[in-house]
Amino acid sequence: MEADFYIQCKGVSIGYKEQSTASIAVKKDISLHANCGEMVALIGGNGIGKSTLLKTIAGFMPPLSGELLLRKRPLSEFPAAELAREMSFVSTENIRVANLTVRELVGLGRFPYTNWFGRLTNNDQVNIDRAIVQTGLSGYENRPINRISDGERQRAMIARALAQDTRIMVLDEPTAFLDISNKYEIVRILHQLVYEQGKCIIFSTHDLNTSLTLADRIWLMLEDRVVEGIPEEMASAGYFEALFRNNQHLRFDPERDDFRIIREKHGVVNLTASGQEQIMAKKALERLGFEVIPAPSVPPSLRPSVSPSSSIAVIQQPKGWNITFQGTTQYVTTLEELCRSIKDISIQ
Amino acid sequence: MRLFRNSTVGFVLLMGVLVFLFLLDLLSGSVHISLYQSISTLFHPSSSDPQIADILFKFRIPKAITAVMAGAALSVAGLQMQTIFRNPVAGPDILGISSGASLGVALFVLSAGWVFGGTPLFTIAGSWSIVLAAWIGAGLMMFLVVILASRLRDMMTVLILGILISGAVMAVVSVMQYFSNESTLKSFIVWTMGSLGSTTRDQLWVLVPSVAAGLLVALFSAKFLDAFLLGENYAKSMGMNIRLAYLLTFASTSILAGSITAFCGPIGFVGIIVPHLARKLFHSPLHSKLIPATMLMGAIVMVVGDLISQLPGYATTLPINSVTSLLGIPVVVWIIFQHKKIGAI
Repeated sequence: MEADFYIQCKGVSIGYKEQSTASIAVKKDISLHANCGEMVALIGGNGIGKSTLLKTIAGFMPPLSGELLLRKRPLSEFPAAELAREMSFVSTENIRVANLTVRELVGLGRFPYTNWFGRLTNNDQVNIDRAIVQTGLSGYENRPINRISDGERQRAMIARALAQDTRIMVLDEPTAFLDISNKYEIVRILHQLVYEQGKCIIFSTHDLNTSLTLADRIWLMLEDRVVEGIPEEMASAGYFEALFRNNQHLRFDPERDDFRIIREKHGVVNLTASGQEQIMAKKALERLGFEVIPAPSVPPSLRPSVSPSSSIAVIQQPKGWNITFQGTTQYVTTLEELCRSIKDISIQ
Repeated sequence: MRLFRNSTVGFVLLMGVLVFLFLLDLLSGSVHISLYQSISTLFHPSSSDPQIADILFKFRIPKAITAVMAGAALSVAGLQMQTIFRNPVAGPDILGISSGASLGVALFVLSAGWVFGGTPLFTIAGSWSIVLAAWIGAGLMMFLVVILASRLRDMMTVLILGILISGAVMAVVSVMQYFSNESTLKSFIVWTMGSLGSTTRDQLWVLVPSVAAGLLVALFSAKFLDAFLLGENYAKSMGMNIRLAYLLTFASTSILAGSITAFCGPIGFVGIIVPHLARKLFHSPLHSKLIPATMLMGAIVMVVGDLISQLPGYATTLPINSVTSLLGIPVVVWIIFQHKKIGAI
């Protein structure tokens, strides 16, 4: 039995049609779906075709083959005006129209509903107000969009899509170029829209951590195929490892929902410390590329007098650290000095 | 800078300025006519000095009307092009649309010379034929530029491209002149020297309806142009009929730029600078405001240009194209410097 999917790709090939000659497929045989009340994160490396897929779904370019269905109807059968009431789009492009106010920009979202001259009715105004409130832009209505921050502008672009009043929203990298606080804010707004209004939001992102924590469904574009599923199943199936398989310096850490940079190991450090200092010293040493072997906190008299010549021993003192390497011991007072000394040793 | 907080006040003010300048334009010229004389002639043409009535009705009023039409038409054409190309220096002259119109007229005039031996230039039918030829030339050039510009986003590249196309088209026109006979060449040269003042009263019956039609189409495509501000993809995602929008804009710009080029010859820079003045004054990029604002501002700028070209105190008139170029080029330089920072309109 086939489930009722709101939007579905069945064996779709995406790419560009070259004039009259052959077409260039970016990706072939894509089968994906999404439903209302779902937040879908599209993940994939640079240049793998995320934008092309989103543009195909948004109806800007036809699929080269396969079926693209919206409410079980081929997308190509929707007249432009009807599609605009089903699906809105936010691109990566930085729109900088001088003197266009936030409210005017959001008002443009009412395009599919207004008359030939674009006159906004009371109902349109209500929708515009709501979109502005939902994106936290109250008080910014009359600010020109070329005079607000990147985060605010991105929220204004989302508000414009919201004013279009569609079930599906497609966003191409809505959090690109934003700082972490703005990134979080954008994703929070999208998440809220999905849960409070039952929208279907499809967005591409490079921010694995946020998408794995908040998205209901992951569409993952790999070199050889495109897979989908809920984040946890995707992680346990080992798909994320496949994302950057050809890069030996990256490893997926399922605990942290993110990739870690694997460093070249410079050596081993025996760390004797406790409490907060122990955690911080371990982090610092790992950052410098050392494997840290924690030693239990034992009285100095019971410690082995000779450590292996290749390894460094770091022992916490009441006020500072003792570094022992090849028989010589050095005393430093701060963690920063500890890092510098360890670096010097590793350079030797 | 926001000069007009309330745009209705702005429109009324600009209308007032335009009426004032229009009257001033009627008064200026080599023959002195007083304000009282001109007003009494306007309202009681039969009881006034026939010589003054002749000057007013045969020369000055057609010229002032032509100036208003030319200013409004070129400026609105420029506004539409700046929006659909999303390029602040787009305009009918700089992207070769005016040259396209010239080529259309040249082809018509010079080939009519071969076919009929003489040219039917100065009849109503001749006027309509010339305008039609200019529309077709402008439309084809517009089409060519759109195809090329869609592949080049950078504003400077499009600009250089437009200059190259204009150069090529003008070279073709020169070659055609070289091969045409003396009488057709003469009538063509007369046309190329065209100015605001060369429009006859009969020709106004062709010019005014053409420009009115072009402006009306522009006003009807305001919503489409607003959507184009965000780019073609956004416009599509909002359900805009892209083909219809392009068709309306092409038709409007070709009719506007073509008609003016057909009757007044090439007039540079007005189409580029006036939309920027309107944006500055009305502080809005939305076309429901910008199109009327640009029409009014364009008319004002062109009437001012005409006043300057008459060189108060001298009996001669400067070519209008030189006046608009001298006034316009510094403004264009200013626009380019401004938009280096902002990046788009």
